[in-house]
Order: sequence, then C-alpha cells, then structure tokens
Amino acid sequence: MIDAFVQGLLLVLQWKAFAFMLLGIGVGFWVGLLPGLGGATTLALMLPFVYNMEPVEAFAFLLGMHSVVATTGDVTSILFGVPGEATTAAIILDGHAMAKKGEAGRALGAALASSLVGALIGAAALAVAIPVVRPLVLTFGSPELFMLAIVGLAFIASLSAQGARGMLRGFLAGGLGLFLAMIGQDPQAGIARFTLDSLYLWQGLDLVPVLVGLFAIPEILDLVVRGTSIAGNVPGGRISHGALAGVKDVFRHWWLTIRCALIGTFVGITPGLGGAVAQWMAYGHATQSARTPEERKGFGEGDVRGVLGPGAACNSKEGGALIPTIAFGVPGSTSMAILLGGFFLLGLVPGPEMLTKHLAVTFSLVWTIVLANIITVAICFLLLNRLAALTAAPGHLLVPVILVLVFIGSYTANSSYADILVTIVFGAVGYFMVLAGWPRAPLVLGLVLGKIAENYLYISVARYEAAWLARPVVLALLAIAIGVICYPAYQTWRARSRRSARA
Amino acid sequence: MHSRAALALAIAIMLLAGWGTITALEWPWKAKLFPLVIGIPLFCLAALEALWSAFGARSERQAAADFQLSSDQPREVVIRRTALAVGWILGFFLLIMLVGFPPAVALLVFTYLKVQGREGWLFSAVFTAIVWACFYGLFDQLLHLPFPPGWLFTWFA
Repeated sequence: MIDAFVQGLLLVLQWKAFAFMLLGIGVGFWVGLLPGLGGATTLALMLPFVYNMEPVEAFAFLLGMHSVVATTGDVTSILFGVPGEATTAAIILDGHAMAKKGEAGRALGAALASSLVGALIGAAALAVAIPVVRPLVLTFGSPELFMLAIVGLAFIASLSAQGARGMLRGFLAGGLGLFLAMIGQDPQAGIARFTLDSLYLWQGLDLVPVLVGLFAIPEILDLVVRGTSIAGNVPGGRISHGALAGVKDVFRHWWLTIRCALIGTFVGITPGLGGAVAQWMAYGHATQSARTPEERKGFGEGDVRGVLGPGAACNSKEGGALIPTIAFGVPGSTSMAILLGGFFLLGLVPGPEMLTKHLAVTFSLVWTIVLANIITVAICFLLLNRLAALTAAPGHLLVPVILVLVFIGSYTANSSYADILVTIVFGAVGYFMVLAGWPRAPLVLGLVLGKIAENYLYISVARYEAAWLARPVVLALLAIAIGVICYPAYQTWRARSRRSARA
Repeated sequence: MHSRAALALAIAIMLLAGWGTITALEWPWKAKLFPLVIGIPLFCLAALEALWSAFGARSERQAAADFQLSSDQPREVVIRRTALAVGWILGFFLLIMLVGFPPAVALLVFTYLKVQGREGWLFSAVFTAIVWACFYGLFDQLLHLPFPPGWLFTWFA
C-alpha cells in the first residue's frame, strides 16, 4: 500500500505527466475565472485529446484541470459577485461583501488557503477511504438519498434571518426554489409541468443562468447606483493587503474549515447530490458557528467564516466525488461521469482492479489533486495583488465587461438566447429579494435539491412503500435534519436566557 | 420601499403558487403530488407574508445572511441610476437579438464607455478592441460557440 502511494507520486512527477498537469492547470485556471464556462464542459472538450496519452498523463491533465476550476471560480465570485462556477456561488455572499469593504485581499487569501486545506482533506479522504468506502456507499439507497436532500433543505433555517419573520421568508424562498425545480418534464408520468408551451423549459431550468442572474444582476445594479469602483472609496493600497490575514483566518478558524471540508467530502462521496449543494451546506453550517445573534448578523456583510466554509467545501468535494467513481464506477456528478468516460477511453475499468492492479494509478490521482491545488494556490497568491486591485478599477470600466461575461456565461449553458432571458428574469427576482430583505440562498438550495428530492421520494415509495421510513440511516438523517432546523432557534433562546441572566 | 417590495414579492409568489396548484389538479397523481405538496404550503406562506407586510407592525429590518443594497445615495438618484442600469441590460439583450452576439459586445462596450463613462474616443476604441478580441478569440475561435446571426441580418439577407 505504501509502495503504491509513493509510486503514485513518482508517476505524477515524471516530466511528461507533470507537464500535462501544468497544461491542465493552465486551462482550468482560466475556465474557473470565466463565469458559466463550467469544469464539466471543459472536461468534455478536452476528452478527445487524451486518446494517445498514458493513463497517468491523461489523468494528470484532466484532473489537474478539473481540480483547480473551483479555486479560480472563487476568485471571480469574490471580486465581481458573479459566480465563476455554479458550485462557487455561496462564497459571493460574504466574499464579495468583503471585497466591497476593501478587504478583497483578505477574502482571496482566506478563500485560497481554505480551498487548499479542503483539497488536501478531500485527497486524504480519497486515499484513506478507498478500502473502506464500499459499505458506506452501499448503505445509501434512494430513501437515504431522499433524506440527505431533506438535510440539505433543512439548512434553509440557518440561511434565513433569525426570528419568525426571517424564518418565514427563508422557507418561502426555499419553497419558491422547490416550485421552480418542478419546471420541466415530470420524470414519472412524462407530463410537461409549468413549461408555458416552451420547448426550452422541457428540460427544466438550468442552474447556471439562474445563478448568474440571481447573484450578478443585483450586484451590477448596485455598482451602477454607487457610481464608484467595487471597493468604493477605500484607498487602493489597502485592498491588496490582507492576504496573509486571510491565511491566518484559516488557522484561527481551523476547526470550522475542517468541518466544512468534511461536509464537502461527504457531499462529494454521495452520488446524486451534485457539487452545487456542498458550498451551500457548508455556508449554512458556517452561519451556525456564530455563537450569538449579534455575531450571526455579520454573515452576508463580510464575515470571513462565510468565505472559509464554502471555500473548503468546494474543493474537498472533488476528492470525495472520485471515491465512488473509482471504487464502483458510480459517478456522482456530470464531471465525474465525463471522467469515467476517460477511464474507459484509456482501457481502465473502475472497480476492484483500481484498488489492486492499478493502485499506483489510483494514488497518482490523489497526488494530482494535491499538487494541482498547491501549484494553483501558489500562482494565485503571486497574482493576488493584481487580482485584488481590480476591485479598485472604476465602475464604468467594469460594468460593460461584467455584463458581457454575465450574458456569455449564461448563454454557454445551452447556447440559447432563452438562457439570457432566464438570467434577466432571475436578475429581477434576485434584485427584488435583496430589496425586500429576503435571503437568496434558500431559493438556490430548493432549486438544486427539489428535483433530487422528488425523484428519490418516488423511487423510495415505489420500492419500499412506507417501510423506508423505518430504515436506521433514514431515522438518523431525519434527526440531523430536525437538529439543523432547531439549532438557530436554540441559539436565539440561549442568547436570550444569557442576557436575562446577566440582567 | 423595503416592505412594498416584500409585499409585491409575496403577492407574486401567491399568484404563482395558486396558478401552479390549480394547473396541477388536472394531471395524473404521479405528476401532481409534488406540485400540490409544495404549491399549497407555498401559497399559505406567501399569503402570511403578504398579510404581515401589509398590516404587520413596522419593526426593525431583519437582515438575511445576504448582501444589502447601498443606502448612501438619495432615493431619486437610486431610482434614476437603477432605471438606467436596467435600460443598459435590456438594451444589450435587444442588441444581441438584433445584430447577434459578436457585434453587440463591441457596440455595448464602446457605447457604455463613451456615454456612461464619458471616456475619450481613443481610450474607448482601444478598450473595446481588447475586450472584443478576448471575447471573439476565446468563445468563437477557440470554443466554437454557435452565435446565430441577428434578426436584422436575417430580415435583410
């Protein structure tokens, strides 16, 4: 085992594999920065190029590219408030708020350092879990996956403002997300639901145009209204400083970073939940780390913990997602499905052989994730001052460029002008939600998890009738969901009783 | 402004949930179960929020974990600039439909810099050329994204 582990490193360090990894990192770096252009699309575009490569070289190229996309996606999200990737939207809430306060350097430092920690934890999970993951993944049938979606939805309580009114608005936004998730052809009966007789809506709402509209358009409107740069009137010299403070924040909140990385890894391991959920669950968990309601109010206004949680989760999920892909050939996301195609192209069959005959190749994947992330974070730190300085650029120079990126980003989803229309509509929805003080995060959670929840519920009922409700893991997950919902109320009650005890 | 926006949103969601629920009633049970399970509570929650916004006491604003719009400009300026920004966004979309994506990008960047940014001719032209070259090189030449011609080119072709 240790021999294979070392051999895996040596395989990646061979000049040809290393050069391909650097090439992959270069492509992934820019793909992550560009909104809308997702890692999955790029993997698909690059797949034909691996035909003539050795397996280690091919995976160094593909995985090197894929594992840095989320890191640089965070950079776009923080600097411009435009999701660089569908999986990096949650970091906008506090990351971009920090950039607007002139703390772009600190936010980027925190995001990059937590991304690295997350990637290392995800890779470690992949290395450690390979021999033991089989029983865990096999425990999860459709009832458990349904309950896992419910746990995800329960985080709506943490993403809402405190108090009855705040909760009402949070669940209302989550309900709207669930409702929007039903748009498209119903998978059970084949009925076209809420499609307004439009062929475009038959496949449902694509996440990218919705996210880009929901988050980027209100930011653009606000930038035009302010008439300044993103960082406002903060002196230019201060903006790029603070990267080190961001790195220190990771160590100051090390336990939160590790917990969020583990959440990401777990979401990654679980097939079917999708990467977009990981950051939101981690963000919800980060808000729960606030001990008092006053402390909690800082979330959304530039609390660094709101950057650390999503940053760590987003990268750790990649290592987690590789576990079922390699061990069983069960891809948990679109990217992993494409990567699985790469396995077959190269003549490798995921499953027991990857854990015995090709163990060194499997460990080379772990090392690729580790090395690619270290290299990317190092490059980002070198460019960090220049990147952060973009927030000091005059607004009238940024607005047309961001607008072009927003429109092209949403257009790349389906190469349809309807994507742009969806972006504009959800831009209006996002703007009104911000204006009314409603949280947008629950809407995204509802939209992402709605379809998953519905599908797994039907399969569970059809397969087990009511008996699925008595499965032990289902009950355990139900208890976790109830705990997640009740925890904010418990926090409020505890703070109130402490205050009255002091008085 | 804040409570009026909340009321408008709540009413819009009420209408949406109501329409969704009524529409779903005609579908087979497999297709209508989830819409009804979501639609009916959503309608009730939206009605509660609408009543709260319309008749509830004006309490201190409860901030969600989300970004807040800037409040350091006079209301008239906010309305005027928001309308202007919406105009640019819708105008860009209309331009894309009329002339296609590549020309619309160049036109938007140049016009925005000249009209909104009041930049000089040379700076606007150079900046536009750089943005357009990046856009065209990456999305058209490298990634071969299909950009259909605008309506104007189709009408006059």
